Amino acid sequence: MSGNNFHPQVKQLLDGEITLADLPPALRAEGEEALRLLAAVDREPVMFPGLDTRVLAKLRRRADSPSFWRRLVTPREVRLRVRPWTLVPAFAAALALVLVLVRPAPTPATSAVTVRFVLFAPDAHDVSLAGTFNQWDPAATPLVRTGSPGVWSATLTLPAGQHQYAFVVDGARWVADPGAPAVDDGFGRRNSVLSL
Amino acid sequence: MKTLRAFLLLALLALVGGGTTLHAQDISARLAGRVSPEVAALVQRLATSAAARGLPVDPLIQKAIEGGAKGVPADRIAAAVRALAGQLDVAAAALTRAGPTHPDTDAIAAGAFALNAGLNDTNVTTLARVSGPRHAQGGTLRVAGTLAAMGVPAAQTVELVTQVIEAGGDSADVLALPAQVSAGVSHGRGVTPAQAAAGLARAAAARANAPGQQKPKPPHP
Repeated sequence: MSGNNFHPQVKQLLDGEITLADLPPALRAEGEEALRLLAAVDREPVMFPGLDTRVLAKLRRRADSPSFWRRLVTPREVRLRVRPWTLVPAFAAALALVLVLVRPAPTPATSAVTVRFVLFAPDAHDVSLAGTFNQWDPAATPLVRTGSPGVWSATLTLPAGQHQYAFVVDGARWVADPGAPAVDDGFGRRNSVLSL
Repeated sequence: MKTLRAFLLLALLALVGGGTTLHAQDISARLAGRVSPEVAALVQRLATSAAARGLPVDPLIQKAIEGGAKGVPADRIAAAVRALAGQLDVAAAALTRAGPTHPDTDAIAAGAFALNAGLNDTNVTTLARVSGPRHAQGGTLRVAGTLAAMGVPAAQTVELVTQVIEAGGDSADVLALPAQVSAGVSHGRGVTPAQAAAGLARAAAARANAPGQQKPKPPHP
């Protein structure tokens, strides 16, 4: 006997719609048999040990770490709370990075060239040299009188490259080197050009 | 997690702000006592703007220092620094036209020098193209500027440098040109820098056309 062959009224009994007493006497035995069979069915839930724990853990992980794209496009409120103790290491890290980034790049070794600067200035009391090589400081490189009257000179070792300069006579008069090419200095005077 | 984000954000802000501050402090330190505070502030603004455009900053600072040392009034220093910033812009544009890469600051500074010496932006573009990968653009432009400063006309300067490079001359040959022109003027009777340069250009062309001489192809069309 299978459940499919039960009398419709017995099926009503199994569904709880009627009681055993409601069945006609001819169907009571079938009804009792059907109830006995139903009671014999194993009603214990099927258990997979740890399954729900694993499923929940996985769901929790997904909820905690959505995909990069989802995190990028999902609108959310961001609240930035600055804790005072984070300022010190943050600024220290930034300072270290700045120092690394602004450190001048190593320049290739350049050759140095010794140059003699000469000016004929018979009326001068003092003569000096100012240019890109000494930050245009008139006091940095004085010329000295040579054995020849009125001739002043200085010998410098300069890095190879291009330099602009002028002689400074008596601390005030800026004079271009008559023996060198010159360019406009932007102030109405001329700077001498030295290419080494 | 939030603390880490806050840390990174603060570090980034401090990095940007700190870099600018150090840069500005460096300029201030170099100009301190050499120019008026107004000129120093102007140079700082121009230098920051120039650096953002990829231009060299040092020539601007040097020009301000030079003006201060020469006792030039503040307004004239400001005008000269502005004019130089303009020349750097023109030089950068001329070098960019030569392509193919973005010009380096040394080449831009040399280009501005060449412009100041009498070359125009087309000359700068031509010389940058001629330089190719074998010659540093900055070196070529400085030599050209020096030749122009010696009195060699711009067109002849470009011709001479081009002939020497296309004849296979190396960087030393190009760097020697001002001294060779100077020697030509010194040794010749009444020879002008233009004549001396023309003679050197003819000699280079003859070398380039000599039998067995491989004429290097121009690097850029």
